[in-house]
Amino acid sequence: MYNPDHTKPGSLKSRFTTRFLRALSKIHAHKPISSSSPTEMFQRYQRIKAAADKSMAYSVRSRRTWSRAMLWKLRTRSCGRRSVKTSTIIKSQQAIMKKTRHEKQNENTTTTATTGEDGVGFCVEEDELREIVPGGEAMDLCNLLDETAHYIKCLTTQVQVMKKIADFYSL
Amino acid sequence: MLHTLESLESCNYDGMDMTVLERQAARLKWQQQYYVVQNNNPVPLSASSVPQSQGLIGSNLGSGQMVELKRPEVFLGTDDLQDFVNLPVSGPDFGESEKLDLVPPEAAADYCISRTFNCQMTTPNIAVMKEEREDVILEKIESTTGSGRVSFNKRKAEAVADHKSKDKRIRGEGESEVKTKCSTEISRNSSKENSKASEVQKPDYIHVRARRGQATDSHSLAERARRGKISNKMKCLQDLVPGCNKITGKAGMLDEIINYVQSLQRQVEFLSMKIAALNSSVELSVQNLPMKEFPAYVANFPAAAKLPEMAGLPCFQLNPLQKESVRFMLNESLHPPQTEGVARASVCITEQSLSSSSMTVIFPTSMIFNCSSSLTSCMMFSNALHLSNSYCSNCNHSQLGTWILKAFTTCTIWDFIKIVELNFVFYVNR
Repeated sequence: MYNPDHTKPGSLKSRFTTRFLRALSKIHAHKPISSSSPTEMFQRYQRIKAAADKSMAYSVRSRRTWSRAMLWKLRTRSCGRRSVKTSTIIKSQQAIMKKTRHEKQNENTTTTATTGEDGVGFCVEEDELREIVPGGEAMDLCNLLDETAHYIKCLTTQVQVMKKIADFYSL
Repeated sequence: MLHTLESLESCNYDGMDMTVLERQAARLKWQQQYYVVQNNNPVPLSASSVPQSQGLIGSNLGSGQMVELKRPEVFLGTDDLQDFVNLPVSGPDFGESEKLDLVPPEAAADYCISRTFNCQMTTPNIAVMKEEREDVILEKIESTTGSGRVSFNKRKAEAVADHKSKDKRIRGEGESEVKTKCSTEISRNSSKENSKASEVQKPDYIHVRARRGQATDSHSLAERARRGKISNKMKCLQDLVPGCNKITGKAGMLDEIINYVQSLQRQVEFLSMKIAALNSSVELSVQNLPMKEFPAYVANFPAAAKLPEMAGLPCFQLNPLQKESVRFMLNESLHPPQTEGVARASVCITEQSLSSSSMTVIFPTSMIFNCSSSLTSCMMFSNALHLSNSYCSNCNHSQLGTWILKAFTTCTIWDFIKIVELNFVFYVNR
C-alpha cells in the first residue's frame, strides 16, 4: 500500500500537501462550522480554492511565470479589490512582463519578428491558451508551451492530492 | 673565414632575404670552420661572435617567419638551432679575431652561457611559434586552394606533425603541438564546412549546414530553429495530455490542451467545493492527525484502489441508476430526500466520471438532487456540467452553458430541473 518512492521529501507533491493541509486547518480554526448556510459554504469554498492555488504557487515559488502571476493575483485579491487601483495593476503587470522579457533575453530567443509566422489559424488557440494559463499574456509561444506543460503537471498533482484528501475525509 | 663571417653578419641585417638553404649552408660552413678553429687554437670567443650568434638566432627566428614551411629543412633548422645551443660554452672561436673587439673570456663565456640558456628557454617558444605560423600559413594555403586539397593538406600536416614528433628534444612539447595541430585542423575543417554552407566565409560562428534547396540567411535559420523548438514542446505536451496521440496538427493539439487545462481547473474548483462541504468531519481529523505523517500518507494514498473498480464498470451499467435517480428527482423535485449514503454514492459516481474520459451529464444530476437546493450543490452541478462540456466538445453545450449561468444567478431549482431535462433528453438520444 505504501509507496515511499512516490514521495520524496522535497517533491512538489509533498510540498503542496503540507501547505494545503496547513491552510485547511487554518481555515477551519478561523471559522468553526456552525451552520451550513449557502453563503458560508460559498465563502469557505472560495477560501479553500484560494488556499489550494496559493499553496501550489508557493510550492513552485517564483521559478515559473505562471506561479508569479498567480501569486500576484491572489495578493491583490486578498488586499481587497477596493484598495487596488488600476495604476498598481498596470504596474504589477508591467513588472511581470519585465521579468518575462528578462527571461527571454537570458534564453536568447528570437524576437517578435517571427511570432506571426506560424500561420493565421494558430493565433486563436494561442490567445485562448494565454487566457487560461496565468501570466500567459506576456510570453511568446515557445515559453508559453513550456509554462503550459509545467502548469498541467502542477494541476494534475493538485487534483490528485485534493481528491485523496476529499476521499479520506468523506469516508 | 671572414667571408663567412661577413655573410653571417649580413644575416643580422638582411635575415629575411636569405633563403633557408643558403643559411643552412652558411651555418654548416661556419660549424666546420668552428670545429677546425677549435682544434687548431682554443681562443676565447669575442664579443662580436656573440652578437653574431644572436644574429643567427635572430635570423633563425626571422627565417621562421618566411614561407616554405613544408620543407623539412625548417625542422632541420630547429635541429640546427638545438645543435647550436649545445655548442660548448666557449663558443665559436675565430682565429682572426684581432679585427673584432676582444672581451675578457670569462665575461664572454658567461654571456655565451646566458645566450645558450636563453636559446634553450626560447626553443620551445620558437617551436611553438613556428608551428603556429605554419598553421596560419597552411590555413591561408587551404583557403586559397580549395576543398580539394583538404586531404592533401591533412597528409602534409600529418607528415609535419610526424616529423616534429620525431625530435627528441621537443618530444615533451610534441603532445601539446599535436593537440594544437588537431584543434587548428578542426577549426580548419569547420571553417571549410562553413564556407560550403554560407556564401560569406565567417570565422567562429555557428556552423550550420544548410540543406539542399533551403535558404541560408540568418532569419530563416532562426525561424527554422524556433519551429523545431515549438514542435519539440508540442510533443512533450502530447505526452502530458491524455488522448492526444491520435490527433495530428498543431491546431487540434492546442484545442485539446486548452480543454484539458480547463477541465483540470474545474476539477480543482469542484474538489475545493467538496472539501468545503465536508467540513465538520474535516476539522476534527485534521487537528488530530500529526502534520508530518499525514501529507505522506495522503500523497501515498492509493486513490487508484477505489477508482478502477468504478472505472471498470461500463457506462451502460450506471445508466439505470442515473435514470432512476433522475426520475426520482423529477418526481420529488421540491423536497428531495437527503441521505448521506446516496450523496456519497453520487459523489463517487461523479468522481469516477471525472476520472474517466467518457463523461455524460447524467452523473451530476443525481448528485445535485441529492444535495438539495444549496448553493454549493448548484455550483457543483455547474462545474460538473462544465467538465462534461469540455470533454464532449459539442456545439450544443453553449445552450447548456447559458442555462447554467441563468440558474446560477437566480438560484432556483426550477431552472436546474429544466437543465437536467434538457441534458437527459439530449444524452439519451445520442
